[in-house]
Amino acid sequence: MNKILIANRGEIALRVIRACRELGIKTVAVYSQADEQSLHVQLADEAVCIGPGPSKDSYLREDRIISAAEITNVDAIHPGYGFLSERAGFAEKCAAANIKFIGPSPEVIRKMGDKAVARQTAAAAKVPCVPGTDGPVDNQREAIKEAQRIGFPVIVKAVAGGGGKGMRIVHNAAAFAKEFESARAEADKAFGDARVYIEKYIEQPRHIEFQLLGDEHGKVIHLGERDCSVQRRHQKLIEESPSPFLTPKLREEMGKVSVKLAETIGYQNAGTIEFLVDKNGKYYFMEMNTRIQVEHGVTEEVTDIDLVRRQILIACGEKLELSQKDIKMTGHAIECRINAEDPARNFAPSPGTIGLYYTPGGHGIRVDSHCYSGYVIPPLYDSMVAKLISVGATRQKALDRMHRALGEYIIRGIHTTIPVCRAIMKDPAFRQGGATTKYLEDFFERTPKELWSAAPLT
Amino acid sequence: MDLIKIKQVVDLMKKSDLSEFEIQDQDFKLRIKRDVPGRAPVAAQAAPLAAAPAPVAPAAPAALAPAAPAAADPSIKVVTSPMVGTYYCTPSPENPPFVTVGSPIKADSVVCIIEAMKVMNEIQSEISGTVVECLVANGTSVEFGQPLFRVKVS
Repeated sequence: MNKILIANRGEIALRVIRACRELGIKTVAVYSQADEQSLHVQLADEAVCIGPGPSKDSYLREDRIISAAEITNVDAIHPGYGFLSERAGFAEKCAAANIKFIGPSPEVIRKMGDKAVARQTAAAAKVPCVPGTDGPVDNQREAIKEAQRIGFPVIVKAVAGGGGKGMRIVHNAAAFAKEFESARAEADKAFGDARVYIEKYIEQPRHIEFQLLGDEHGKVIHLGERDCSVQRRHQKLIEESPSPFLTPKLREEMGKVSVKLAETIGYQNAGTIEFLVDKNGKYYFMEMNTRIQVEHGVTEEVTDIDLVRRQILIACGEKLELSQKDIKMTGHAIECRINAEDPARNFAPSPGTIGLYYTPGGHGIRVDSHCYSGYVIPPLYDSMVAKLISVGATRQKALDRMHRALGEYIIRGIHTTIPVCRAIMKDPAFRQGGATTKYLEDFFERTPKELWSAAPLT
Repeated sequence: MDLIKIKQVVDLMKKSDLSEFEIQDQDFKLRIKRDVPGRAPVAAQAAPLAAAPAPVAPAAPAALAPAAPAAADPSIKVVTSPMVGTYYCTPSPENPPFVTVGSPIKADSVVCIIEAMKVMNEIQSEISGTVVECLVANGTSVEFGQPLFRVKVS
């Protein structure tokens, strides 16, 4: 491969450019008019403007991106994460234009992108799924039978749902009728569709995901897990590897199950399978992400494997020379997402001009960021400023190192999530490794606001 | 350096046709750039600390034509590319160009073809007037927003 076009922006575009540089592959950046001053545009060998600011007019314009790929004569397109990375149609367009899409096949993207089909596929591969009804249930009699079959507590969820609306947790049969009707009414009001389905309610689950790599010759391996339980409104804030909760036995079992599912569907390139794990260690398939993820760096730091480089080599047709026993997880890595958000004002977005920008450093610190002093964060895209990763021989060392690094990090001119992450690094509940997906909500309730919304003292 | 001195420097610049001015003192560095007809405008900046790297103009890619300078004459408007692709000034190799310098055009006149993904797209001018300059060579690649023609509006 001589040249790759990166169909993305921000820090992931930079990440892909770095991997290409190391492989001696030329790079083409595409950018919107709002991203002219962006670092990925400056560092790529070539750059093509593909539209005005808004994503729908630029980064989501499949036609313009393919056109840009054609006029710059690239061999492949790396889609990054978000944007077009999980659009089967785009992968098909690339194939039709004779451009290699760095990722799995369009059929696999399509299959795993449909949540219902993904569940069925996982179930067929004997991967435990969250027990639930196959489809919507509209009469109460049938519903309560299903709920009893599934086992309380259950959650009644709107089929057309989102944003936590049209959901009711039911703890026992006595409360069921009332909650069922209540959920339907709310769903009808919020989405104009009263249809609901029922799932087992996993109490205080951990979100644990397994990283996979599959080559184009049928080999699939896993690179261990990441624990991403610290989330705010279903958005990940802190990720770590290994998970403080998994035992070696559970890790081996979940790893095997992940690989088996990937093999069943003929998965190629990088991907991640997400599980919910309850307090007893029972795990359930949640979904599969058929792309590289934001938090991939955490796995890179504990396995010493460059995932983006591997993606490119796999797309070149190279065989994966690693086997499962070659994958070793050493030490502990933690990532904090630094977003341009104001914790004091309910995490309202804080775009604008960055004044002084100084990144932390030293042994065991990695910063993946496209920002610099004077950079103007546009209001049009996501709020990510940087990913800060700390690595240590033990979890405690990684935690303390992260705390130290967050204290050094200077980003003037905008508000960021630095103080929240820093406070969490010292929080006993987090330090003990007990975080579930409820953790952050609890943390905000019991921790005085001054401790997580003030600028860090340096 | 105090505000009064900065204002004096700015006034001096306005009176002349200087577009860029830089001065460094012990712990103060001031750099001012201003919009001069014919040059790309850049925001003014003052840095009391060691100067942060200034935003650089986008790298002019080798394969693509560089952006034309902003027109100073208000009666001159620029037709820009609405897509990414390859620019052709003629309907086909044997035919004469759609427009040349001096051609009168209307808003719905086809001024060129941009080929994108094997489709030949006819590009309409959207400006009425007379073609003053053709900015792109036949067969070169163009990006979104790239200036194609300068047109004197009628």
